[in-house]
Amino acid sequence: MDDPMKRLLQRLIRRIPSQMLKITLDKWGRLTAAQQRSMDFTQPKRVLTEKLLSICEENEWTVKHVTELEMIYIMDNPNQGMWNALQLMDPEDDSPSVNLMQFKEQFKSHLGEIVRHVSVKMKKHTDEAIWIRIAWGDGFSRSNHLKPTYVVHQLQTPYVFVTSLTSKQKPLLSQALILATRYQNIKDANLSGQKLTAIRDLLMRQYQQVFPNKYHSPLTEKTQTVLNTQIEREQAESAANRCQMACEAFGDGMLPQLQSAVYKLETKFRDPANKTMTEREEPFRCVVKFASTNLLESLRQCASSGVASTPVTPLLSSIPLKGKNYFVVTDNGPGSSQK
Amino acid sequence: MSAKGVLGHLSLLEVQARSLKTQPQQQQSRVKELKVKVEELITQRDQLRAEIQTHQTLQKLRTSMDKQCTDEEDEEMNEDSENSQFLRLMARHTQLKDLLHAHHLIGGYDIIKTRQGKGVCVSLATAYEGTYLDMFNLEIDLKPTLRICRHNIPPFIPLNSIAEQSNMQTDIRAFLDTLSQHLNAFAGRKHQLKLVKELHKSVEVMESNVLCSVLVLMFTLPREKTAVLCMLDYTDHTRCLPTRVSFESEDKKLPESPQWKKNYNLLMETPVHKALITMKKMGNIA
Repeated sequence: MDDPMKRLLQRLIRRIPSQMLKITLDKWGRLTAAQQRSMDFTQPKRVLTEKLLSICEENEWTVKHVTELEMIYIMDNPNQGMWNALQLMDPEDDSPSVNLMQFKEQFKSHLGEIVRHVSVKMKKHTDEAIWIRIAWGDGFSRSNHLKPTYVVHQLQTPYVFVTSLTSKQKPLLSQALILATRYQNIKDANLSGQKLTAIRDLLMRQYQQVFPNKYHSPLTEKTQTVLNTQIEREQAESAANRCQMACEAFGDGMLPQLQSAVYKLETKFRDPANKTMTEREEPFRCVVKFASTNLLESLRQCASSGVASTPVTPLLSSIPLKGKNYFVVTDNGPGSSQK
Repeated sequence: MSAKGVLGHLSLLEVQARSLKTQPQQQQSRVKELKVKVEELITQRDQLRAEIQTHQTLQKLRTSMDKQCTDEEDEEMNEDSENSQFLRLMARHTQLKDLLHAHHLIGGYDIIKTRQGKGVCVSLATAYEGTYLDMFNLEIDLKPTLRICRHNIPPFIPLNSIAEQSNMQTDIRAFLDTLSQHLNAFAGRKHQLKLVKELHKSVEVMESNVLCSVLVLMFTLPREKTAVLCMLDYTDHTRCLPTRVSFESEDKKLPESPQWKKNYNLLMETPVHKALITMKKMGNIA
């Protein structure tokens, strides 16, 4: 029996939480009814792993089968690990008409040409996103299935999301992607997060944005939940204003969950009380990181409660506006690094 | 008891005497109050009368303006007085406001000023077959050049190239019209896909994409129970109907049969969810 296959299966079962194991195995559908019945999911993982390994021998599963199972699990539970967004640039004329079949063929063939011993698996998700699992090898060794890269892309959009991609693998993947999607270039979108759905929703604008509108302002209705007509809020108008500006900057309702925002400062030190530092020629290098379980929600609350001044500073509102959470701030204003 | 009674009576009389002293003053102040009230009411009445007068003049001006618009005559110059010019301006203002409101009601785009006139916000409504769908918005900075600073248009609509090609800087109407075309067509195609999934469970959607420019459906033939693959390409993103329809099946002669030629025409000329209804009625598909 394949040792690498066993290791892969062991690792995978260890990774999948017990509650998800039954659902994922059922979805995979490779266990016979009898085998399904024989699995007792209340037992500890160690026992389940042993059971599955023996079923594996029975059914003569290969690495291919196990990677299938892994892909099903990751596709249904994408909000783990660290995802980075890439942006495709300068589309060719025929890029809007690239279809699924074309993309799949082109990607596999181009990647196969640049990387030896690469194992590529592609699957389309219900939301029309193409999921690609890449197990990298090189001239000397076969594909390493224990450290696969996952790539997610929706055709006719300029964004690609990747996880577990090393700096060595990045240019190879980039090359294959631009050739398959018929774009000329790809760059870092400077957006990363643990939740794939959040960074995707942010870039695809799949959250409720707020715009100034003549015909209805639903936000003012929210702040007017008058419980007692005898009580008048002193600063009701300014509170409503702040709320409106906060929502215009960040959005309304559920916001995509980002975990951090990083600002790399390359600006000159400015403090009249500290002459030594201010007199220095070089910029004061410093990195500011905001971290939260739901960064955009906390920033919105800062603005609507008055902790952060309104109108919201472009440094903060650039996060949803530009869809980035990594900024390099120079004295000319906030920009983004081109990595 | 009797002492209380007498003392009580005395204090009552005292109070009465006191109140009698102040009463005439009270009466005087009351009269003053009422006189002031009368003045206020007279001023209010005069104000209301003036407003009614202005309103009636405006109505007359509006009617003559609306008539002039349809007759395409030159405007008459009545009195050159400041007052009449101002009233004419007000009438024109109400005319424009009504026009904008009508434009909004028919699903055209709304535009409002933002940030004290430094920018505008355009709202484009989309609709298909009488159903209002999504609303898209653009915030545009006016100076130094027109620049789109914020929007909720999905990234697969080529906003920047539309702006360039329709010369947004010089002809914003052309830009908004083209953008509205793209958005309405996209919303229409998306809505058709939604209806196909809801109304035609026997037809399987094999492939589609976020732009809804590609649709691959699988039909089942009612009698033979075999499958026919149908590919719809919507390469013109400003239209809701496909630019190309093709069929694939094991029976190579099928696409040439008169039945399927009819199906081809249906799919090219009618929205897909409606075409499928007709195809089912004709017994061509299950």
